[in-house]
Amino acid sequence: MLCEKCKKRTATVFYNENINGKTRSYSLCGECAAKLREKGELQDITSMIGSFADPFSQLHDQFFSGFFGMPTVKSIPSAKKCPVCGSTYADIAENGKVGCPTCYSTFGDELAGLIQSVHGTTSHTGSVPSRHRAMKEKKEKLTQLKQELQEAVQKEQFERAAELRDEIKSLEAPAEQEGN
Amino acid sequence: MAWYNTVGKDADTVISSRVRLARNINGYPFASKLDASGANELIEKISAPLEQAGFRKINFADISPIMATSYVERHYVSPEFATKESPRALLLQEQGGIAVMVCEEDHLRIQSILPGLSLEEAYKNASRVERRLDEEFDFAYSEQFGYLTHCPTNLGTGMRASVMMFLPALTRGGYMDSLASQLSKIGLTVRGLFGEGSGAAGCMYQISNQVTLGITEEETLKKLNDAIAQISESERKARKSITGETLEQLTDTILRAEGTLRYAYRMSSGEFIRLFADVRFGIALGIVKDISYEQLGTLLVEAMPATLTLSSENTPKSEAARDKLRAQKIQNTLNPHRE
Repeated sequence: MLCEKCKKRTATVFYNENINGKTRSYSLCGECAAKLREKGELQDITSMIGSFADPFSQLHDQFFSGFFGMPTVKSIPSAKKCPVCGSTYADIAENGKVGCPTCYSTFGDELAGLIQSVHGTTSHTGSVPSRHRAMKEKKEKLTQLKQELQEAVQKEQFERAAELRDEIKSLEAPAEQEGN
Repeated sequence: MAWYNTVGKDADTVISSRVRLARNINGYPFASKLDASGANELIEKISAPLEQAGFRKINFADISPIMATSYVERHYVSPEFATKESPRALLLQEQGGIAVMVCEEDHLRIQSILPGLSLEEAYKNASRVERRLDEEFDFAYSEQFGYLTHCPTNLGTGMRASVMMFLPALTRGGYMDSLASQLSKIGLTVRGLFGEGSGAAGCMYQISNQVTLGITEEETLKKLNDAIAQISESERKARKSITGETLEQLTDTILRAEGTLRYAYRMSSGEFIRLFADVRFGIALGIVKDISYEQLGTLLVEAMPATLTLSSENTPKSEAARDKLRAQKIQNTLNPHRE
């Protein structure tokens, strides 16, 4: 992935900052990171871990797990714990591995920077387990209906809009009961 | 018949293809946080439908370290899986090279390994088992991150597809570093096998996808297949470009390697790998005529230390004895009519 500042060089420095619960992640090349550090916009650069020369030079999983480490959460270390396995973000950062599936929702914001840096994206496009397929189809249907609704309103087709609204309501109602 | 006893498509440049899918089951922490009773429970649950489908269950807590290493040599389990101490099991179906590791790093690592270039078939095999288990279990999944895995590097499809390539001409030409850096730009990685550092001794390299999120399984396989086709072409061109005195010298090296491989009295595994590469190169160039890819492929597993030791009734007591056993094994495979 490219450095978000210069958008030219490959990002090699990944950095998460957590201030008053607000997380922001940076993906920078070495030069831009150094410039920002000079300006004092990136403070306490020593707390960053993810600085490495070439993200694919080490060619193996183990590289990312453990050795490369996770972006650290700067300032205000969170005492947040995963409700299922009890992991803290510090635990995850220490060994590069996540404790349980629920950690991904508990620490989604903190992990997003790392996931972005490894994969260049944070959204899945591949296959889906059977249990989620119906839900996914429903979501896609809803997105489509909502778009149609907007178009109907714009074209002042209010009868059609009313139909669409009812259809959307009936689709949304059971989804809420399922509690996702 | 095991995958390593047969030969597949593009055998001149490709040794094997492998696809593995990482899956976890909701309601259990990932393997490193799972206690022994949780792990055993999971192993029981997952084994049941697979044993019913004809898989053989091998409980790794019950087998010797040497037997565990032999499964690594046959590429059915990872070295980490073989040596860890917590409860774990392998469910194996040799037909289709399908191996399911239960409680490796992820709860499930479903893989298929096949000879030659055969990524689609390997994916189909792994996917069939995955779909069967999907009916039974609630796989950990999020709409955003896809299949949730112990290590974030496997998120998304959880799929790692890899091809073991044999690239002696590109290795000799010194092209491997630049190939690795070109591949990294399109999200593929190269790892040398059977050798220190670069893996140059055996000229064998594993090429696999780096990224698993934001790309579908089909796109990943296509990207890898396209790259393999290009690399194979480059390797073949590089082989053709060896002519004149260079070819004379190479022919001498290859035929000497064949002689040593056939008639040595003792052979270390390091020497075997070097000679293996020379002789395999010789088959591809038409210099070695009486040895087949199948014979060599079989040896690449059966002459490895653990598998070799297990094949003998009398466990070799020293390294020298094992090296003698290796030389015998090679002779028996290559010169079946020799007394």
